Formats: sequence, structure tokens, C-alpha cells
Amino acid sequence: MNLNPMEQFAVKPILGLDKPLLQIGGHPIYFTNQALLMVIVAVVSSLFLTLAVKPNRLVPTRSQSMAEMSYEFVAGMIHTATGEDGLKFFPFVFTLFIFVLCCNFFGMVPGSFTVTSQIAVTFALAALVIGLVIVIGFMKHGIGFLKLFVPHAPWYLLILLIPIEVISFLTRPISLSVRLFANMLAGHTMLAVFGGFVVALGSAGGILSALSIAPMLLIVAIMLLELLVAFLQAYVFAILTCIYLNEALHLHDNH
Amino acid sequence: MVRPPSERREGRFCAVFWDFWETVLTAPDPDRLNDLGKRLDDFQTKHAAGPRRQAPSQSQIGFRFATELFAGVVGGGGIGWGLDWLCGNFGFHTKPVLMIVFFVLGTAAGIRNVMRAAHEINTEIARGRASDDGNGKETGS
Repeated sequence: MNLNPMEQFAVKPILGLDKPLLQIGGHPIYFTNQALLMVIVAVVSSLFLTLAVKPNRLVPTRSQSMAEMSYEFVAGMIHTATGEDGLKFFPFVFTLFIFVLCCNFFGMVPGSFTVTSQIAVTFALAALVIGLVIVIGFMKHGIGFLKLFVPHAPWYLLILLIPIEVISFLTRPISLSVRLFANMLAGHTMLAVFGGFVVALGSAGGILSALSIAPMLLIVAIMLLELLVAFLQAYVFAILTCIYLNEALHLHDNH
Repeated sequence: MVRPPSERREGRFCAVFWDFWETVLTAPDPDRLNDLGKRLDDFQTKHAAGPRRQAPSQSQIGFRFATELFAGVVGGGGIGWGLDWLCGNFGFHTKPVLMIVFFVLGTAAGIRNVMRAAHEINTEIARGRASDDGNGKETGS
């Protein structure tokens, strides 16, 4: 048995699809386990959310109230972070939140794959967010959007401060993606390491085998913690999206 | 006096009478109505203030600051490295200079990010406290 705790993060083509699907500029494109998980997440979450609200009852069923609660949760979050006009971006933020949340939760299923533990995926999502922020900022304020990078300071400080503000803005996708990626990576590595302890102790024989129950119990506790982290990181990702959108919409209002 | 709904829709007169019966003669319990009104008011005040957010835990705050600083330093250095590479392609030999300059600027940007994050977290905690004083009871979510 392979006890390497990083083994679980390996991206590889799923069984039976060893041949590349297509070639783009000489690079083979495979259908990997990561792509499979993302397709599953997208299909399951959209199916669940559409079917759950289908009965459309006044007194909601359990699944309908789950869908409604997630709607209200995200709507309230956007409302607090960006105000009334931020609600135009509800579909985007909601999709992002549900996608990250479902990826995190599907990754918690033993034997599956955690899509959000790949920096490529989280960075693509974060770059999408920042790209949208830039586009919306320029659409709403035109060239005035660049005022975002000019803090209130005397001119001789601005020479230094403007590059700092620009870098600070450009590094946002990095911090946004690294936070999600590192949390997921750390949590799942920890789970695998403790799982390795169970196996190692269990096969040691004698009194040590009985001791293997200790890391087993710890895994249960960490698993619960990881479920919390899975939700929290999706929440943080969505709330930071809202905060960045707010800045694009309202520039310096809250500074 | 309970009739199945299929029978109710039969005649116009019947329907009118049934509506009258339902709304006037079998008026609901005023206590329940008051309770419902109170709950609706509660919901509306809560909705106006937005959902209450719990303050992030210490480890979450620490992790947030760490990533903000990390992103600033790495992003700044990376931008400088990229610009050096670009300048090298156009024949300017600025090799280490831009990277050093942008590394320092990136560190400053990282600290600026941390300050901004601290500001955000402070307002979030203050908001949580304010809504704590406002309405003590939390329903659902």
C-alpha cells in the first residue's frame, strides 16, 4: 500500500482514457481525474439546485430549504459587502461559491480527488474574479477606475505609493488562490499522514496495534474540522470576491 | 364544515361564501397573528442589516495575514523578474535591478495588503458586535 501522503494530489488520466482527447498546439489534453471531479461537481450541484426548487412549495421540503438557504446566504453576503447594486453579480458569486463549496465537500469523500487543492484551479478562479473586477471597473468608471490606485497623499509620496498600490492589486489573485489551495492541501495532507499512522501502528503488532485507535479517533476530529474549513474557505473566497467587486463599483467610498 | 377543494370550486356563490367563511368567521387566533407579525418584523430588521457574520477565528486571521504578505512578496518579485526578462529580450541588461526594486515594492504592497485585511476584519468584528446588541435572538441559518 502506498503511504505517501502527497499521492492523493496526483493529477492523472482516468482509467480507460489514456489517450489524449485532443491536441492543442502540440500539447496533449487529457481527461484527468481532476476534470472528472469538476464535471461531477458541476452536474450534481446544478441538478440538485434545479430539482430542489422544482416543487416550489410554500412550506419547503428539506432539499428545497437547503437551496433557499444557500440563496439567501449568498444574497445577504453580497448585500452586506457591496450594497444594493452588487446584487447584479449574484449569479456569478453564487456559482463561484457553490462550485468551490461542492469541490471542497466532494474532496472530503474518501478516495475522491480534491480539485481545490490544485493551485492551477484556484488560480484560474481567482484570475477570473480579478479579470471581472477590472472589466467592470473600466465599464463603470472608464479611465477614472485608475483612481483606485491613487491614495490620498502628497505628490512626492505618490511616486512610491502608486506602484505599491498597483502591485497590491495585481497580487490579489495570488493571495486569493493561495489561501484556498494551501488550506485544502494542508488539511488533506494531515488526514493522509494520520491515516498512515493508523496503518503503520496497526501492522506493528502487539500492544502497538491496540494503540492505532488513537490516530483513528484523531482522524474523526480532523475530518470534522476539515468540513468546517471546507465551508469556511468557500465562504472566504466568495466574500473576498464581493469585497473586490465593491471596490470596482464604488472606488474609494469606504476608505 | 370541511369540504374538499374540488367541491369548493363548483359554483361562484359557493366560492364566495367559502372565502367569506374562511376569512371572517374562522378568523385565526390573534395571538398567532401577533406572533407571526413579530416574526416578520424580526426578519425584516435582520434582513435590512444583512445576515450576521461571525468573527473569524484567530487561526483564520493569522492565515489570512500570512497569505496576504506572501502574495505581496512573491507577486512583487515575480513582476520584477518578468520585467527583467522582458527588458532582456529588448536588449536592456537590467537583469537583477528591476527584480530587487520590485521585490522591495512587493514587500511594501504585502504589508499594505495586511493592513487592509486588518481593517476589513476590524469592521467585520465591529459589525458583528453591533448586531449582537441589536437583536439577541438568531433564527435559523
